Amino acid sequence: MGYEPLVQQNPLRVLNMGRENNQMGLVMARAGLGKTALLVQIALDAILRGKRVIHVSIGETIEKTKSWYDDILQLILQEHSVNRPHELIDMVARHRMIMTFKVAAFTRSRLEERLNDLVLQDIFRPNCLIVDGFDFETTDREALEDIKNLMESMNMQAWFSAIHHRGDSRISPTGVPAPCHEIDDLFDMIILLKPEHDATIQLDIIRNYGAQVEGGKGLLLDPTTMMVKEM
Amino acid sequence: MKKDLKKVRNIGISAHIDSGKTTLTERILYYTQRIHAIHEVRGKDGVGATMDSMELEKERGITIQSAATYCSWKDSDINIIDTPGHVDFTIEVERALRVLDGAVLILCSVGGVQSQSITVNRQMTRYKVPRIAFINKCDRTGANPFRVTQQLRDKLDLNAVMIQLPIGLESDLEGMIDLIAMKAVYFDGDQGDNIRIEEIPARLRDEAEAKREELLDAVSMFSDELMEAMLEESEIPEAMIHDAIRRGTLSLELTPVMVGSAYKNKGVQLLLDAVLAYLPCPTDVENTALDLDQGEAEVVVSNNPNDPLVALAFKLEDGRYGQLTYIRTYQGMIQKGDTIINSRTGKKSKVGRLVRMHANEMEEIESAGSGDIVALFGIDCASGDSFCNGVNWSMSSMHVPAPVISLAIKPVDNKAQINMSKALNRFTKEDPTFKTFVDHETSETIISGMGELHLEVYIERMKREYNAEVEVGAPQVAYRETITQRAEFDYTHKKQTGGSGQYGKVGGFMEPLEEGEYEFVDAIVGGVIPREFISSCDKGFQKSMAKGTLTGAPITGVRVTINDGSYHAVDSSDIAFQLAAIGAFKQGYSKAMPVIMEPIMKVAVEGPSEFQGAVMGSLNQRRGVIIGTFEEGNYTVVEAEMPLAEMFGYSTTLRSLTQGKAEFTMEFATYKQVPKGVAEELHKAFEAQKKDA
Repeated sequence: MGYEPLVQQNPLRVLNMGRENNQMGLVMARAGLGKTALLVQIALDAILRGKRVIHVSIGETIEKTKSWYDDILQLILQEHSVNRPHELIDMVARHRMIMTFKVAAFTRSRLEERLNDLVLQDIFRPNCLIVDGFDFETTDREALEDIKNLMESMNMQAWFSAIHHRGDSRISPTGVPAPCHEIDDLFDMIILLKPEHDATIQLDIIRNYGAQVEGGKGLLLDPTTMMVKEM
Repeated sequence: MKKDLKKVRNIGISAHIDSGKTTLTERILYYTQRIHAIHEVRGKDGVGATMDSMELEKERGITIQSAATYCSWKDSDINIIDTPGHVDFTIEVERALRVLDGAVLILCSVGGVQSQSITVNRQMTRYKVPRIAFINKCDRTGANPFRVTQQLRDKLDLNAVMIQLPIGLESDLEGMIDLIAMKAVYFDGDQGDNIRIEEIPARLRDEAEAKREELLDAVSMFSDELMEAMLEESEIPEAMIHDAIRRGTLSLELTPVMVGSAYKNKGVQLLLDAVLAYLPCPTDVENTALDLDQGEAEVVVSNNPNDPLVALAFKLEDGRYGQLTYIRTYQGMIQKGDTIINSRTGKKSKVGRLVRMHANEMEEIESAGSGDIVALFGIDCASGDSFCNGVNWSMSSMHVPAPVISLAIKPVDNKAQINMSKALNRFTKEDPTFKTFVDHETSETIISGMGELHLEVYIERMKREYNAEVEVGAPQVAYRETITQRAEFDYTHKKQTGGSGQYGKVGGFMEPLEEGEYEFVDAIVGGVIPREFISSCDKGFQKSMAKGTLTGAPITGVRVTINDGSYHAVDSSDIAFQLAAIGAFKQGYSKAMPVIMEPIMKVAVEGPSEFQGAVMGSLNQRRGVIIGTFEEGNYTVVEAEMPLAEMFGYSTTLRSLTQGKAEFTMEFATYKQVPKGVAEELHKAFEAQKKDA
């Protein structure tokens, strides 16, 4: 498709992403640090690699979610010269579907029903699921395992975002803060967003496909554009 | 006559189709004593609601044109612009919004915020119209105004705060609790004329206290006095709360929510009180005009009746006595006998009759002050024109979308032919999104507009109001053609056999133009094409743009540059260079990879979640790109971008797929390239058609 340079130059390559399916990833941060921006960049990277992405937004509107993609895609187009940008924008639209749910309405059975609607009629066969706004505070281990099983049965990759509250000091032995400190073993990949003194935001990669990582991999979010950069 | 502008309200009533807008307007006119009996929209008495002035609207039970009507309530004048609810008539809604100062957003207590409410809300935000929400139909089964209020917050992003609480719901709806005065209000009598105020029923006391706290919390942001009073826990005067709500509403940061049932005559008078209390008067709103003498610099209109007149003609209607022009004045006065100047055409007109409109009836007046909405007789203009006297200003131009669908129409006989042209002439003046022209090759009359229903309504009106019976062809999508790459051309037009010859040579290139339709660049040096023939080339290119070679659709998005050529001292002429340019364009166009573009519509389908799969399947089959789904309770909205060409007859498909439980709206989004397979078919059909002709 001619988008290989975009894929190869993406700093996210450090993360070994797209190696395998059936994996679950987690992005954690305090409110407002750029979780959604990072998830959207992960999704766009998957789309550029020819994957289809379902973006589940819990408690958000379709319009707002779509504008995240539009904005970040514009930034990518500004940085890299792409022949026929319209085709790229079109391609992204065809490889992405947004599903928004009310906070309480998102359950495994609902999700499964919706995914089946799409797959059985051959409307959309997703490879990657992005779940933004999932409420980890009120979810137990069982519910999450349930979703993990669903992902495995459908041969999909999934990425979640979780909010870590400033006052909550609970933390797992591997360094995963609350509210995910007791379920961190379910995730194959964990990224923590940490604000630095110079207003940049570091990507602290706690786990990279099973392997524990020390000291991250030297990625950060540009505080003005929220784009992932190498240090 | 000088009026206190503080006591004028120009408001609109806007909502999703069938949420009871016309019924509400009817009740307002009744309580303000403009009419003396209530007729239902689909009433059995056969009279129909007063606001639906056109016969057709009565028949369909929908409101198409925004009639302006005037009434007075408690010493204040209210001009109501009734706006259509169907998205095909969006230009009408937008035009009405332009002249409003405030609006009432009506929502159905069962249906809640539906897609059309979202569109209307977006338009209101664009034109910065302060609004109050009225949750109607609280007497219906399944009514839940609390859910609707939450939707106003979630879906429309409004800071919606209930200022009333219903007493009972569905068939038990008795009245409402005023959370500011903390009183229960009931409506007695057959038509709800007698308002009875009582203490709040004991069973609702706690809930009312809690809701009042919520209300005070939300509005205290807008008033320091109120905030202080709350901190001191002293008695809070009602006026202080009203004032805070008004400030919040005017700043567009608060939307007070009221409840009621227009049909059951409950809550309408309180809504009128709220219109006076919270919606802006003309001087509260800043309107801007463009000064045509200063290169369209923005100027703020003064609202001062002593300044030169500035008025906007926002609606035309064809009445028995000629053209009726609805205007809104922004500053100055308009008086019978005045001379006013149309700033678009520069034409002077004399004001003959000035009237105040009430749906179908009218009242003669001598003059109208700044901020008023009145109608003029016998003024020739198009809607959207500005009238001035003393300055040369134009109210900022309104954004008019290009038509996306067209139909061929043919009058059945000679008489119909004459009536048809009269009707078309009128409609094009009334509605900038409605266009008409004659296709010279087929000599058919083509009408084009914003959707199937839009054109249907005009065909019906032709029949009813103008007695013009027409045969209607199949709807056609307005395709366009454009080029995708740069191409050179070098063409010589030569005809030098006998008599005066023709000679012209044009060289250069064409390239895609991202924004805009056509650009002509003259890069000729050394006079290889003489000055006087440059414009001939431009003309020739423009002629070529009218009809593409793939489907015969107009070509857009091309920049043509000429940089070479030659001429003959005797044989070169205007026409020779035009023909050379046409030849050159053809040559370049075929090399520039031309493609067909089609209109893409933004479609939203709403219905019960159980049908979501079927709905998505039907959209997918029609070459649609599904953007996303929105689930709430058992209700789902599917948003998609659909080619208009695939949407004909979709309402029937949708109805049978969902047992009539889903509905859809669509509006024009953009033009996109047609996929290869479809493009080939279109091209083949065009070739076949050419052969036939």
